[in-house]
Amino acid sequence: MSADRPICVLIGALGGQGGGVLADWLVEAAEHAGYPAQATSTPGVAQRTGATTYYYELFPEKNPPGDPVFTLFPATGDLDIMAALEPTEAGRAVERGFVTATTTVITGLERVYSTAEKMPAGDGRIETDPMMDMLENVSKDLIRLNVKELSDGTASRINAVMFGAIVGSGILPLTEDDGKAAIRQSGVAVESNLAGFDLGVQAAKSGGSAPLTQEGKVYQEAPADFADAINAYPGTVREIIGHGVAQLIDYQDAAYARLYLDRVSEVAAIDSDASHRLTFEAAKRIAKWMSFEDVVRVAQLKTRPGRLARIRGELGVGDDLPLKLTDYFKPGRDEFAGILPPALGWLVPNTKKLARGNGMALHIPTGSAFGFLLLKILAAMKPLRRKSAQYLEEQEALTAWMGAIKKAAAADYDLSCRTAELSILARGYGNVRREGLEKLAGLFANWENRLGSEIDKLSAEVDQLILLAQANPDAPQAH
Amino acid sequence: MDGGTALARIVTTGERSFEREISKLLLSDGEEFHGEGILAVTKALLQSGVSYVGGYPGAPMSHLIDVLADASEEILKPMGIHYEQSASEAGAAALLSASINYPIRGAVTWKSVVGTNVASDALSNLASTGVVGGSLIILGDDYGEGSSIMQERTYTFAMKSSIPLIDPRYNLAKMVELTERSFEISEVSQMPVFFNMRIRACHLTGKFTAKDNKVPTYNANTPYPEQIYDVNRIVLPPASYAHEKAKFEDRLPAAQEYARKHKVNELFPGKAGSRFGIITQGGTYTVMQRALRRLGSADAYGNTDVPVLCLNLVYPLIPDEIEEFLQDKDSILVIEEGNPNFIESQIAEIAQRKGIPVRIHGKDMLPMAGEYTSNIVREGVAKYLAAETQGEMKDTAIAAEAAIQNELAAAQSHISAPMPPRAPSFCTGCPERPIMAALKLLMKERGKFHISMDIGCNLFGSLPPFNVGNTVLGYGLSLASGGAVGPNLGQTRVAVMGDGGFWHNGFSTGVVNAKWNEYDSVLIILDNGYAAATGQHRLPSTGTTPKGTPSLVTIESALRGVGVDWIKYVDSYSLEESKKVIGDALDARDKGLRVIISNNECMLARQRRERPEKANALKEGRTVLKEKFGVDEEVCTGDHSCMRLNGCPSLTLKETSDPLKETPVAHVDEGCFACGHCGEVAHAAQLCPSFYKAEAVQNPGSIRRMMSGLNRSLLSMMGGY
Repeated sequence: MSADRPICVLIGALGGQGGGVLADWLVEAAEHAGYPAQATSTPGVAQRTGATTYYYELFPEKNPPGDPVFTLFPATGDLDIMAALEPTEAGRAVERGFVTATTTVITGLERVYSTAEKMPAGDGRIETDPMMDMLENVSKDLIRLNVKELSDGTASRINAVMFGAIVGSGILPLTEDDGKAAIRQSGVAVESNLAGFDLGVQAAKSGGSAPLTQEGKVYQEAPADFADAINAYPGTVREIIGHGVAQLIDYQDAAYARLYLDRVSEVAAIDSDASHRLTFEAAKRIAKWMSFEDVVRVAQLKTRPGRLARIRGELGVGDDLPLKLTDYFKPGRDEFAGILPPALGWLVPNTKKLARGNGMALHIPTGSAFGFLLLKILAAMKPLRRKSAQYLEEQEALTAWMGAIKKAAAADYDLSCRTAELSILARGYGNVRREGLEKLAGLFANWENRLGSEIDKLSAEVDQLILLAQANPDAPQAH
Repeated sequence: MDGGTALARIVTTGERSFEREISKLLLSDGEEFHGEGILAVTKALLQSGVSYVGGYPGAPMSHLIDVLADASEEILKPMGIHYEQSASEAGAAALLSASINYPIRGAVTWKSVVGTNVASDALSNLASTGVVGGSLIILGDDYGEGSSIMQERTYTFAMKSSIPLIDPRYNLAKMVELTERSFEISEVSQMPVFFNMRIRACHLTGKFTAKDNKVPTYNANTPYPEQIYDVNRIVLPPASYAHEKAKFEDRLPAAQEYARKHKVNELFPGKAGSRFGIITQGGTYTVMQRALRRLGSADAYGNTDVPVLCLNLVYPLIPDEIEEFLQDKDSILVIEEGNPNFIESQIAEIAQRKGIPVRIHGKDMLPMAGEYTSNIVREGVAKYLAAETQGEMKDTAIAAEAAIQNELAAAQSHISAPMPPRAPSFCTGCPERPIMAALKLLMKERGKFHISMDIGCNLFGSLPPFNVGNTVLGYGLSLASGGAVGPNLGQTRVAVMGDGGFWHNGFSTGVVNAKWNEYDSVLIILDNGYAAATGQHRLPSTGTTPKGTPSLVTIESALRGVGVDWIKYVDSYSLEESKKVIGDALDARDKGLRVIISNNECMLARQRRERPEKANALKEGRTVLKEKFGVDEEVCTGDHSCMRLNGCPSLTLKETSDPLKETPVAHVDEGCFACGHCGEVAHAAQLCPSFYKAEAVQNPGSIRRMMSGLNRSLLSMMGGY
């Protein structure tokens, strides 16, 4: 029987992912097999990290009786394969009406986040699970390619794996030989591309990779002598409290962890709700706040055992090569004075260079014995921390916040939980943290009165503050 | 200081390697050519016996320029073909003046509509005097998806200057045939000819049977024997009045006659006696064919009952041909992309004058504006078939379109949340990024100010995360476009311009104008060594000629030559320094025009050059650094303030396993080139101390190795390992 339409493939990619090479391979493979085919694209400025597409049609009949008409654009109900090198590009093809129940979607699973997703101070990423569900529900078939997992240890790139998966899906009348011939013909990184191609073929034949599972949180365990204290809490909050205890022992010492438990118990005592949401939120946020990052903490984290080995791994070099490591610090007056007792703050000169928003730009060579020792000395100041100005300031702000939570709990349980969430404002370093703490102090100044007189307004204000703290503070104002 | 912009830079290739492609330009009679549309047209130029070629790069024409540059030594020179990469489209258009008096063929190319705007002065003059040698202008029409320019039609230029316009049916053999015919049309009509290629046509793959290349009779190796003076070829009265008449009395009619005789436009008669039909541009033919097939009126090979007139010559129309097509029809549909609907209007005029009672549909069934993609055209054709045909054809079309719409609705019903927008931005390691960060930080300190942007990569600074840059008016026009902004906002005029824009138009229209009118102005020139946005093309200040031989034209000497004294260089990657220098320039309001040259090589170019060098060095056992930035997850606060000053594709988000962290942390992926911007931002904006730079020394010397061993034992003692 004579073919009555071309098989149509749309490739969605980001600049730099190799979508153009993939389209070239498909053209070469068709030529090798003897099928008429055509590809086209719109690289333009999209090659600079924007979204771009390549479109390919193959007529599934060798030596057809005439010249098949190929066209330039994908169309609804006429797309056989949507090959997305990044999953939201498959989603975009759905939005544009190209993917329907007659389309097989083959998609890489690894997200490449867009600038829009990166800019909010909170989590601006789109939700992956609903998107993958959508792709599955819309399409005829969904083939997932977990390239990281598939290419474990090989230098395979996603375009080669995708090429293999397209051929392996059997939708085009191309054989593995046709695909391999195309890769050899192009002559670029032939070995690794052939390896990637094979992985893709196998993946498609076995129905694709498994869906990605969300990486869970990893809870540290508290030492055994804290077991009794922690087990006194309801099951749902033990994990987080244990984690908090472990973190604060690492941060300071066991006594500091006990102070943490005391603080959590104050909140737990007034948590009347069966969900223990308030206890959970407070336990998480008190631990976070109590391990605020001062110079000592940063020095401790930067000299952690295993850090240098991890960085070598990231760089992909073994233990034998010399490694230079530079850490970027810019402490200002606040940071220097912060580690001193309040009475000694005058020791830090009041120069413009150290003024708030400014600071001393330091490049610390942590990879050298000298730089490492310097940070070790700073980290060793840990026992003095509880006398430092910043410590005292943070404890005061934390106490005010806890007071606000407790007062709110008496009036409105939900509001108290959201008040706990306000600790998001106590984040960051330098100006960011300072401004956040000032906002909290302003809000809590008249807290009790407002709980009585205008709780609805107050509640809305709390919501607003949380939302703002998660939004993109630089979003342009609309005119 | 010099970030590597001048002679030190060795330019070897353009954005892609063309060696394999160049060999295709040498195919001889009967051999089969396989490749992209734009390369096929390039081959057709050689088959047509051109004596000179030129152009200005810009997507989708860049490829043609690159191929010609690479082919200049091996192919063009032996054939005596003069090649130049013009300094602007106006320069390219002016090249065609060689065909006014002399029987030599030439072709030039640029991106349209923007390039045609720039070239208009020369084009109008050229179209007035006319030519004797075939003159072809290949236009890369950047309309629709992926376009980076304003959306306008090129058709207007054809009409206003009476230049025949070819809009070819997209099939490589047809495109090659029409390229060859265009030279003949040009010669019989004595007019230059536009050859319009949409972006997807330029990148279309296909094949055709090649012919031998033709060495022109007159060329650089065998010159034309004498100069010709003819006062009638000068655009001055009374000759210019005669030119205007000749266009309509002789030239266009000659083009029409030739096209009619050689069947440039294609009639697909359909079923005899059909009282309906479609007139389409060549460029929308395959899209229309696909629509008919989807609606049950055509097969996969384009056989259809619907009569179709495919206009490969869209200007001028051929009234007799149109009349013949309309004669026995009750109605037709005109498929014409873009607006205004010139073709449809002219057809209506012809019908009206000839008294043919035919209903002419077009923009009433298809959208006025925007690219004519498959779905759009199919919907319009479905409307037409439903309204103007009968019986099975009508019923099938209605049912097929309804089925497609149902399939679409079913698919779209699953959409819950929108996908994130993905605008183009600066590449990883781009030297233009830090300047945008500096401007953003300066605005936080000093309050916001208006910035006039230019065409080129710099324009991405107007997009997130920077959002600096308020207007863009054209290539090289940023400085001039701030002329009335500064005084009326009570601020210093601030303009950003790439080196490409500077040489294209920015020097004369911007710098000289600013000097002459005594502007209080700050001009930031982003000197990355290439017209990077078009695909890394050489510029006068690249350090080489278009053919790759050394040359030394510098931005600074041009500026000094017109009396600009306040010139400061700044290393693009030094954010603190950039901020300071821009701040100083803003404050020096009594110094007239202040120019900051931010200079560092385009990172794509640098990587392309350094990667093989590094690989070689590594193989030969020489010391090579392997470097990358990173983020300490534990230290990262997760508020993403670094992202809002960076926008690097390689600085991204990562899920964290820390139960106390609620937001994803920052992460530097393996794409990092260690340009240093992350560290600079951390310092300039006093961000969290989570960034680090790691450099491994590969193939270290023996002393280095020994010191490293010692260092390592010391670190082990302190618990570092």
